[in-house]
Parts: sequence; structure tokens; C-alpha cells
Amino acid sequence: MSLLEIDNLSVDYRVGTGSLRAVDHVSLRIEAGEALGVVGESGCGKTSLGLSVPMLLPGNATISSGSIKLADHELVGMNEAQLNRLRWTAVAFVFQGAMNALNPVQRVDRQILEAISAHDSHAAKEESSQRVLELLDLVGIAPARAKSYPHEFSGGMRQRAMIAMALACRPSLLIADEPTTALDVISQAQILALLSSLRRSEDLSVLMISHDLSAIKRVCDRIVVMYAGVVVETGTTEQVLGRRGESALAAHPYTQALIGAHPDLRGERVLAPGLAGHPPDLSKPITGCRFADRCPSAMSVCREIVPPTVTISEGHTASCHLLKKVGA
Amino acid sequence: MSARYLTRKLATLVVTLYVTVSFNFLLFHVLPGSPIQLLARSGHYDPAARAQLIKLFGLNHPLLAQYFIYLRNMVHGDLGFSYVYRKPVTTVLGGAIGNTLLLVGTATLVTILVGVWLGVMAASRAHSLTDASITVTSLALWSMPDFFTGMILIFICGVWTHVLPISGLVTPGLVTGTWGHIVDVGRHLILPALTLTFVNAAEFSLISRNTLVDVMVEDYMLTARAKGLQRRTIVWRHALRNAMLPIVTATALYVGMILGGAIQVETVFSWPGMGLLIYNSVVQRDYPVLEGCFLLFAIAVIATNFISDLLYQVLDPRVRRT
Amino acid sequence: MLAIVLVVIMIGPIIFPFDSQSFGTSAASILQAPSRAHWMGTTELGQDVFRQFLVGGRISLYVGLSATLIAIVLGAGLGLISGYYAGWRDTVLMRITDFFLVLPTLPLIIVLAALFGQSIFVTSLVIGLTSWPQTARIIRSQVLSLRERPLVQRVRSLGAGDLRIMRKHILPNVAPLIFANLALVLSGAVLAQAALAFLGLGDPVQVSWGTTLHNAFNSGAMSQGAWWYVMTPGVGIVVMVLAFSLVGHSLDRVLNPLLRGEE
Repeated sequence: MSLLEIDNLSVDYRVGTGSLRAVDHVSLRIEAGEALGVVGESGCGKTSLGLSVPMLLPGNATISSGSIKLADHELVGMNEAQLNRLRWTAVAFVFQGAMNALNPVQRVDRQILEAISAHDSHAAKEESSQRVLELLDLVGIAPARAKSYPHEFSGGMRQRAMIAMALACRPSLLIADEPTTALDVISQAQILALLSSLRRSEDLSVLMISHDLSAIKRVCDRIVVMYAGVVVETGTTEQVLGRRGESALAAHPYTQALIGAHPDLRGERVLAPGLAGHPPDLSKPITGCRFADRCPSAMSVCREIVPPTVTISEGHTASCHLLKKVGA
Repeated sequence: MSARYLTRKLATLVVTLYVTVSFNFLLFHVLPGSPIQLLARSGHYDPAARAQLIKLFGLNHPLLAQYFIYLRNMVHGDLGFSYVYRKPVTTVLGGAIGNTLLLVGTATLVTILVGVWLGVMAASRAHSLTDASITVTSLALWSMPDFFTGMILIFICGVWTHVLPISGLVTPGLVTGTWGHIVDVGRHLILPALTLTFVNAAEFSLISRNTLVDVMVEDYMLTARAKGLQRRTIVWRHALRNAMLPIVTATALYVGMILGGAIQVETVFSWPGMGLLIYNSVVQRDYPVLEGCFLLFAIAVIATNFISDLLYQVLDPRVRRT
Repeated sequence: MLAIVLVVIMIGPIIFPFDSQSFGTSAASILQAPSRAHWMGTTELGQDVFRQFLVGGRISLYVGLSATLIAIVLGAGLGLISGYYAGWRDTVLMRITDFFLVLPTLPLIIVLAALFGQSIFVTSLVIGLTSWPQTARIIRSQVLSLRERPLVQRVRSLGAGDLRIMRKHILPNVAPLIFANLALVLSGAVLAQAALAFLGLGDPVQVSWGTTLHNAFNSGAMSQGAWWYVMTPGVGIVVMVLAFSLVGHSLDRVLNPLLRGEE
């Protein structure tokens, strides 16, 4: 049994009079202690996927099919009270940027304490306060700064505080949505290092969502590449990105484009040639491969038939017509 | 809150008060046809009172000297002499101020509680039927002049059903103990306070709703939900705490509004407060009293603004140390 | 809703003219309940409430409109100057604006009306002179952001005159905001006029809805249960104010994101 099992998950958004499928029959698994990275451009359904686990999708979104099992609890269809018991204790969240994810009018220690007492009403006050300081220490924030307000922290410190808060109830799964976006390069490196050391010391499973392959590479064991709401490639980090010093092994043209899009100098993300344009409009029906319009190697079959999922090697799959041709 | 900020705010407060007093002087003493000038020549006073008036305001001195005399009188708390009541204005005001405080205080308390509560109800079910009906009702109530609301309540509770007294502070001729007196005043208080509450709670519910709806979509609200907090905690502790800031600012302007409302409501219900005093002094052209009431109202609003500025500092840590 | 209000007020008095000199002649004709002859009953003087209502609306609207015009011209003008020139002019003007913003509006209006007379001209002037600060603040902040726009900066560096820039580039951009504000100021002005007239500070000759309510209240119509006398003009005020504020709010809702989006 895996810690998190997502099967055939679809998320629909009501938009105006129509609807839009942001996540389309996605399945993935995270084993205990594993770190999985979901990568893709913005608007590919990564964030919707992440938010659907603790059932925090916005009001105009519905889960139209599939199941989400966390430690054998089925989350889809659970009522709010049951969900509230699992939120933060089983699955905690580190939000994008952290710019505004902390309440601006509450002291940081108070916000962490609140998470602890919300789930353990019997916790002794001194013990919990002690725990807050330990947590802050764990992420490298001195106890003297515990009583600060979020605006008194730098972006990097806010994100550390957010991570400390996420660990407050010893969750088994941590979902980190773009944890390093909007941070400066040094803070990015520190946060990534912190995440990869914490996942071992705190025995965490991680679902990390990012558009930045280099960030994912530094934390995650496995990668899922999403495009326009579907999984196009999945494999271990080494299978998809290659070992250090080797060229990438990515099988799907989209993954290849993403790799090309980010030169290893961690500068501005530059789009590779051939990856011009935007992901398709999901409110309109698409036949065939969703990436076809932007794919440098698109064939006529790509626009007609949905590509099959091909196993390249143990644990490494991709959905592309090219692969079938090569394989046949 | 830094001492520098406090000093600056205090200085602004003093300057504003000074300007207000001077503005009052301009209005009542200098402008052509201003009442004090007219009064001194009119037949409202007997010769002795007129002489006293001329002496008090220094009307036989040049304008600048009059201004300083006026300021000196202000500092000494001397607001002149009412020719209707034949008493110093301060005495007349003193008798009314408590009643207005009682009325406005009660109404404010209920207004804030009910208004904010309605706003929370509407915002936490944003775009639902509940929200729409609260918003539309609030808008309709907001559009009602206070005196008209009062008149409707008089019809409903006084003329048709006789459940509540519709006029005055106490029942004339009723002799009871202290407790009975309190109950009697309380019963007289209900309708005027309710009237003021209707209009102002509507305003509050609209403001709270709109700020709350803005706050609800902030990232930290998602964090609060993700933490598994109960809905009540999320709305009251996280959302409302952040929405308080615009609400506090609104309260300062609200005081000006409720005082305007008090004039109408006290008139309709014959509530012997400053509003009724203003009405009577307008009708009877008792300018010194009118001037005193206006000055006091202006000071009340300025003071509330000052307090709300300070409160803002306490509530918003982001501006606290700047 | 707004259209109905306007049509009733504009056309109503033509179809049902009101003669202020025609009084009831018998005891039976005063404070009559609504009937076929008097749709909304009669007043304590035996006058037709409905016909008085139709005429009164005109006065209420007239005072509201002229007061609003004064307030908007003042508020928008000061807001423009303040926001455009910034610097010391802005500081001085905003200090003044803040001072007037703080003064309790209705008491000030009452004092001014008590001092300077009760004609509808004075009433309009007084309400107009006390209703501008909010508009000035709103327009100013919009102009402040407009003047930093590249286009305005460029035109300015090309040596265009201040007046020309204001007319050609700033004013068209704040115009929608002015309109939204106009509707809100208007509803406030109608309310202020009603309160003033109710307190007996209305024009004794030009009967507005507020005046009708003043007469109703002071003639003891309430204790005699003459609800028609009170409800007719009262509902008139509520509907008119509501109509204007709904227009203002919806304009605001449409315009605000637009204005925000442009920044």
C-alpha cells in the first residue's frame, strides 16, 4: 500500500457558462518516505492536483471522477469535519511564494501554535510553546524571532516559518506548491536544501509542485510531468533527467522542451525553440495529443488519436506516438 | 506605537480642534448676518443681558480682539448664554449630553454587533441567496432617511399596537423607584435606538461584507483552511481580524453619520438629547445653543477619528513601527 | 427603477396638476384615507397627497441634482488639481479636504441652512458645499496613478501644457469614476435635503417630500393613523435614493476592476 494513491482523478472548473477540466484522469502514487515532483508550465493543472488532496479546491471546482486515498482513507466524499481532522495532521501544505500565506496580523509563533492546538486540544500550553520554538529552530529561525509578524521576515524566512508550521502536527505527507517561486536565488537554494534534509530527518513524504525542473531535481526521487491536465511522462528523477553529467533521457517532447527551457545556470527561464505559444484552451474539446500544436515532431496521427502510454523501462513511462513508432 | 507617531497625531488633533473652533467663530460671529452680530442688536435680550452679551463676546472691540476673546471663552469652557432657556449654554448642553450618549452609545453597540454579524453571514456565504438578501435589505435600509424609519416604527409600535412608548425619555407622572425608572427609560430608549440601528447597521453590514469578501480570497485564508481549523475560527479569527482595519476606519466616519441621525431621531421621538436641542434651537433661533451643539458634535467626530487612527495602529502590525 | 422614478416625477405633475391653493373646505375633507378621488388620501389641509407627492419629487430631485452638481464640480476639480500637481498644492488641498471630511455633515448642513436661509437655492448650495470631500479624495488618488502613466509622462516631456494634458489625457480617464461617484453623491444629497426639510429647514414655498413629512409629523397625522400621508412621500424618498445608489454601486462594480486592471 502506498501512502498516497490518486486514481483517475478529474477536476472540473465552472467557468462562465461552460466548464474546464484542469485535471484529467490523473493517477499517481507516493510511497512512504518518497518525494515526488510534479512539473509543468503554469495552467497545467499542477496546483489543482495539489489542492485536491486536502480538498481545498476553490468553490467553482468539483472533483468529477476518481479517488484519493491517503494512508487508506478515501478523501473524496469525506465530510468537512473528517477532513479537518486529517488536514495538517496527515497532509500539510506549503503554499506558493509564502508572500501572503501567513496571516499578516498574527505573530508567527501564534500561527504555529494555533495549528497544534487545533488538533490536540489537550496539549499543555508550555509544551506546545516549546514545540513551536523547536520547530522554528529546525528550520533555522532563532527563538528570539518567534514573536515577529510575517512582514518583519524576509521572503526566505517567511517560507521557513511556513515550513515549520507545516511540520507542526507531524504530517506524513507534505505538499509544497512552488515553494521557491518569488524567492531570491540564495533563499531558493536554502529552502530546497532544507526540504531535502527535512524529508529524511522528519520521515516525510513530499509532493512538490514546480515549474522549475532544477528545483524538483534537488528534492525529489520521482517526477511526474503534466501537460494540459494529463500526465505525459513519469519516471525516477534519474530516468527523466539523467544522472549528473549525462544527457537527459526524457522521452516525451514536452519534457525535452522543458529541460531545454531551463539552462542549468539558474537564471531566467528561457523557452526553448519549439516551445513557443501557450498550453491549449481546456474549455474546448481536444482530439489527439494535447501537445501536438506545439510539438516540434508532431505527425498527422498526433492530431487524431490520443497517444498510448508506453513503458520505456521499469517505472519510466511516457505518452507519445513517437515512442510507439520507435518501439514497434 | 512609537512616541513620534503619537506626538504627530496629537499635534494634528490640536491643530484640527483649533481650526474647528476658528471655523465656528467664522460661521457664527464673522460672516455677514451672523447671529451674534444680529443678536446684539435684536430684541431677544433685555438690556442687561444684551450688555452681558456684548461684554462676553467683546462686540465693541475690533474683530481680531473678538476672536481672541472668543478663544479665551472657549478655553474657559464658556459657550455663551441661551436666551430661550435663560441659562449658560454649557448648562443646557450638560442636561442633554448624557441622554444623547445613552441613545447613540446603545445604538452604536447594537449597530456594530448586528452589522458586523450580518456582514459575516453574507460574506461567508458569498453570492448565495442569503448574501443577496442581506445585501439588498441593507441597501434598502440604507436608503431610508432616519426620521422616516422612526415614523414607521411609531406607526407600528406606537399608533397601531401601543406596545412601546413613542415619545420622551420617561413616562410623565410615573413615580417609581430607581429600578422602575431604569426600566421606564429603557422602554423609551428601544424605538429611537432601534431606528438609529437600522440605518447604520445596514451601512456596517455592507462595509463588513465587502471587506470580508476581499479578505476571504487571500492566501492566508487558504492556509487557515489547510490547517484544518473550524469554519468559525477561520471566519472570526482570521478573516474578521484582517477585515477590522477598513471597518475601524469606517467607524470614524460613522460617528458623523449617527450624530446626523440622532438629530432626526431625537426630533421624531422627542428624546431630550442634543439632537432635539439642535432642532429646538433651529426652530427658536437660539444660536448660542446651536453653536455649542455643533462645536460639541465636531469635537466628538474629531476625537473619534483620533481614536480610530490609534486603534488602526494597534490592529495593523504592518504600520505599527513605521 | 431609476427610469420609473424619473418618468413619474417628470410626467406625473402634468397629468395630475397640484394646486397648492386649493384647500379642503369641510372637516370631512381633511386627513382622508385613500379613496378613488384622492388616491393617497388628503393632508391636514385637505390637499391631495398623491398630487403633492408628484410635485414634491421634482423639488427633491432638483435640489439633489443641483447640490450634486456643485459637489462634483468642486470635488472633481480639487481632486484633479491636487492629484495632478502633487507637492505642496496637494498637501494644502488635502488638509482642507480632510478637515471637511471630518466635520459632521448633517449638523453642518443644518447650521448653514439655519444661518443662511431656507430657499431651495441656499439648500442646494449648502448641501453641495458639504458633500464634495469624498469625491475629491477618490478623484485625487485616481489622478495620482494616471499622471505616472508612460503616455502622460511622454506628452508632458513633449512640452504639452498642464491644462491640455488634464483635458485630453486625465479627464477622459477619470470621467467614468466621476459618474459612478455622482450617483452616490446624489443619493446622499436627496437624503440630506429630506432631513433638512423634515427638520423644518426646507423651502416653505416649494413643497418637497421632506416638507410633506414635516407637515405630516407636525400636524399630528401620526397619532391619527394617517399612514398614507407619511408613507407616500417617505417611500418616494427611499425609492429615489435606492435607485441612485444602485446605479452608483453597479457603475462602481463595473468600473473598479476596469480601472484596477489598467494599472
